[in-house]
Amino acid sequence: MSKSERFIPADRIPLPPRDAEVLTTACDYCTIACGYKVYRWPVGREGGMAASQNALKTDFPHPNMMTAWISPTQHNIVTHRGKPHHVVIVPDKDTKVVNVGGDHSIRGGTLGQKCYNPDTPTRERLLHPMIRVNGKLTRVSWDLATEAMADISKYVLTQHGEHSWAVKMYSYQYFENTYAITKLAMTSIGTPSVAPHDKCAATNDATGMDDAGIDSFSSCYEDWRLADVGFLSGVDPYETKTTLFTQWMMPGDAKLIFVTPHKTVGVAWAEANNRGMWLPINVGTDTVLHLALARIIIENGWQDQEFIDRWIAKPWEVDSGYGRGTRNTGWQWRTTWGAWQSDWEDYRKFIVAQEESKLEVAAQITGIPAEKIRLAAEWLAKPVNGQRPKASFMCEKGNYWSNNYMNTASFAALGLICGSGNRPGRMISRGGGHQRGWMGAGGGSGWLSPEKYPGRRKKDFNLDRWLMVGEIKFAWVFGTTWVAAMMASDALGARMRELTNGSPHQITSLDRAAIFQTLKRRVDSGGMVMVDSDIYPCEPVGTEFADFVLPAATWGEDDLTRCNSERRLRLYSRFYDPPGEARPDWWAVMKFADKMGFTVDGSYSWKTSNDVFEEAARFGRGGVLNYEPLVQMAKSRGLKGHELLRSLGTTGIQTPIRVKEGKLVGTQRLHDPANDWGEMEGSEVHGHFLHSFNTFTGKAILLKTPWKFPGWIQFFDAVKPRTEKDELWVTNGRVNETWQSAFDDRRKPYLHQRWPDNFILIHPNDAKKRGIESGDWVEIVNDTVYVQTGQPQGVLDADLNFNNLLKEGHIKTTAGKFRAVAIVSDEMKEGITQSNFNTPKSMANAVVSAVPDPVTNNYRYKLGRGTLTKVGESEYKTDLSRMSLKPRHIV
Amino acid sequence: MTEKTIQAHAERPDPEHERDRQCMSRRQFLLAGGAMVTLAAVGLPGELMAAPLHALRASYPKVKIGSLSALKKGAPVNFNYPYPNVRNVLVKLGVRAGGGSGPERDIVAFNQQCPHMGGPLDGTYKDAHQALGPCPLHLTTFDLTRYGMVISGQATASLPQIVLEVQGDDIYAVGVQGLVYGYAAMTAKRA
Repeated sequence: MSKSERFIPADRIPLPPRDAEVLTTACDYCTIACGYKVYRWPVGREGGMAASQNALKTDFPHPNMMTAWISPTQHNIVTHRGKPHHVVIVPDKDTKVVNVGGDHSIRGGTLGQKCYNPDTPTRERLLHPMIRVNGKLTRVSWDLATEAMADISKYVLTQHGEHSWAVKMYSYQYFENTYAITKLAMTSIGTPSVAPHDKCAATNDATGMDDAGIDSFSSCYEDWRLADVGFLSGVDPYETKTTLFTQWMMPGDAKLIFVTPHKTVGVAWAEANNRGMWLPINVGTDTVLHLALARIIIENGWQDQEFIDRWIAKPWEVDSGYGRGTRNTGWQWRTTWGAWQSDWEDYRKFIVAQEESKLEVAAQITGIPAEKIRLAAEWLAKPVNGQRPKASFMCEKGNYWSNNYMNTASFAALGLICGSGNRPGRMISRGGGHQRGWMGAGGGSGWLSPEKYPGRRKKDFNLDRWLMVGEIKFAWVFGTTWVAAMMASDALGARMRELTNGSPHQITSLDRAAIFQTLKRRVDSGGMVMVDSDIYPCEPVGTEFADFVLPAATWGEDDLTRCNSERRLRLYSRFYDPPGEARPDWWAVMKFADKMGFTVDGSYSWKTSNDVFEEAARFGRGGVLNYEPLVQMAKSRGLKGHELLRSLGTTGIQTPIRVKEGKLVGTQRLHDPANDWGEMEGSEVHGHFLHSFNTFTGKAILLKTPWKFPGWIQFFDAVKPRTEKDELWVTNGRVNETWQSAFDDRRKPYLHQRWPDNFILIHPNDAKKRGIESGDWVEIVNDTVYVQTGQPQGVLDADLNFNNLLKEGHIKTTAGKFRAVAIVSDEMKEGITQSNFNTPKSMANAVVSAVPDPVTNNYRYKLGRGTLTKVGESEYKTDLSRMSLKPRHIV
Repeated sequence: MTEKTIQAHAERPDPEHERDRQCMSRRQFLLAGGAMVTLAAVGLPGELMAAPLHALRASYPKVKIGSLSALKKGAPVNFNYPYPNVRNVLVKLGVRAGGGSGPERDIVAFNQQCPHMGGPLDGTYKDAHQALGPCPLHLTTFDLTRYGMVISGQATASLPQIVLEVQGDDIYAVGVQGLVYGYAAMTAKRA
């Protein structure tokens, strides 16, 4: 570790002078997206300590907490218009939304360290396009890189078809980029082989909520302050959505119910302050908890009957769909006829008929004491003095990444019978992971997917399976760690290696024709060409596999836009020059599109990111991220869309944007009847999801979720820890101090010393049995990791269920392992361990099976298992300067 | 409450009280929270036993803040340094610590203002984990065995560590590693 990688606490920071320029932005990281201000001024001078001498208008030093202060990690020196400038990036203390008063997380609070500065570890940024020649990445021009990419792409498209030309991309990294990439892939190339960063297919996230008619981001942050009780399923917002918790949940007296096997900080705080309850659930069993809670509520008559009568679809309404009957409803596309659909009377009968909804049975399956389940039901729904509690429901990945369809469908139903879903303080939503930065270019190409549900109903394309069977010839990866983020990571990485640098056909010169001949031989002999666009060398796709590595410009290096998880749209200002020849991905796409000949009709003629923003607007018109009225308003005033948005600062405006009396009006929450204004103005496209549920009738749909559904239970039984092998659950999750794969954090010395290596949290009893102490290196091995390798199409109902796939030879058995530093703590439930979900050099997903939910094509990400063996002592047992091994739940 | 504050500097009251009326100060927060502030005095020079992780950039006065014989494991002692209104805690952790002083290298001192948003950490020492926190504002906890590193939470810097020297029985504060909340430079003393 060089000196600059080491964290050295500074004892001073330069203050911005009075005339420092101020630009607004929002955090690049979590879904909450706190507002930030960037102060920029040329190197060579500083502001003074007196309020009259600095841009913060504050006397330093001062004794006042929660006011203006600059931490040393919030300062950096960047290049702006070719000249060195100071930047100070601090939360906006003047903001009245999101992070009111300048609250922030440790992630956003260190944004200053993200900026490129060759005196810091950010020197590892990719600076130039490169081609791998004789195994070594070699600097080339943008022209040669994109020409060579286009040469082989044209051949692949002609010889092997559009299905063999693939994109693996982030779904969130700003509208301008996602629009450009999807326009290229889905419209110009026309390939269905596209998958977002977090899934093997371009499928739904919280699928059961979608089918119930509830938009995942229907709520706003204020709903959590208005609620009397919050049901937090598979999530502690303190760890992953910090200011939502600290600003909108901690104040007040709302009770919080946490469903998670990990007693994280928020859980421990809520319990210690009589504000909360921990339901330590067994991995993957949320559906049973939801059934049991619903049964208690129904048997006591605590359901919100008035709401149910008004807002829950009746039998005929369930069956109605765009004039084509049930065929076009979501769950019917995904499953068999009649398996899930319900109405209130039918749902009530279903709940009380389930063996697993009985309190004692549910307590046994979920591992949660019966009295806690009963108390949780009381908190959620039992009227007090004739008043119903206002309950809001949040789910995140502990819920929908363990049993995608059933957990979300049963979660939505539970919320609906409590009267939640479309009123202030009574909402049902996801918490969110990334921000909302997807603006698809329209049309789509999913209809070309060769995958089909039984009955030949359309099913999303599984890109990982396509790769495993060797059908991808050209893959362009945009800003994502494909291998570590997907399941059975070891098997996926091994296959990728075999197809790329395992091929005998490797580029040996920078001659364009020679490159083409080499790559042509590669793809014709079963191999694959890879391109990796990223800001840092990405392991292993960029560092080992990719033939082309392209340097991306990112946050702060171009004007970009997106929404947060309450659909708040803001401009993320450019405030410094991208390093080297790095360019935003929309520009790289445009360059490639030109070499492909896609620009002959005038397409892709963007000069700035604003041009992309304005072009993309019309493709979001019908959706929840609609910002087209803003672009139209800007045009009518002779402004750029970006500039009008810039004028709204860190406040921005919540989408969908509408026009009322000539003014732009944001939408605080969706499905709320108060949004019904009658007549539309301007260019607005009316969507009834604004003021009613997102179904044909506007009424929400209750879905049944039988625990023994074979599409679930067969897989669950197959991947449970095996007692004969002494296995434990090896689930995965996030810690507050790390954002995603730590691509930035590992280059922020302050954060890197906190988490220099991957961890595994182990209950003391599980650790003791295995002779493991905090600070030991532990090897985690699963010798039976299943990978689905074939059978994209079902004919009969049971065809895509696990047992049938296994019987028919479509399940390959692989192995996976990773190494992590033990932290022994009773914050974990006994029998369950947890590791960081995406550390490229220590892939916890290696012990998780890559067999998607047959209902949704979404992986069961949290269901890892393995044996744990001490393999040595880490340096962190003795090196006291890095990696605290203390428990997280100290309150 | 078993803690006591050792006032290393006997100076006039903080003249910033005028401003405090408009914006709640940490001191007011503390007083409102019922924390106790008492005065005491000790002092004798001895041998040097400091083990700072990093070189200091500013020089500070050497001030006696306690003695080995009086310091009990797990019983924190408050003191102010390097300025009268900068509140710190001296603690014998009972386990070896980064930057620890004393024969067992287990004596450390840290500033008690959370470097997230200035919340008061006074009285939050957790002996079972050798941790300070959680901060009452946003729940950050700090590992006092590892240079005040964040265990969990939102602070964008480690807790500023007070560099110690032990001479004979006496414990001296000799420097500060890091930037105390509210300061732009540690050399710029509050008026």
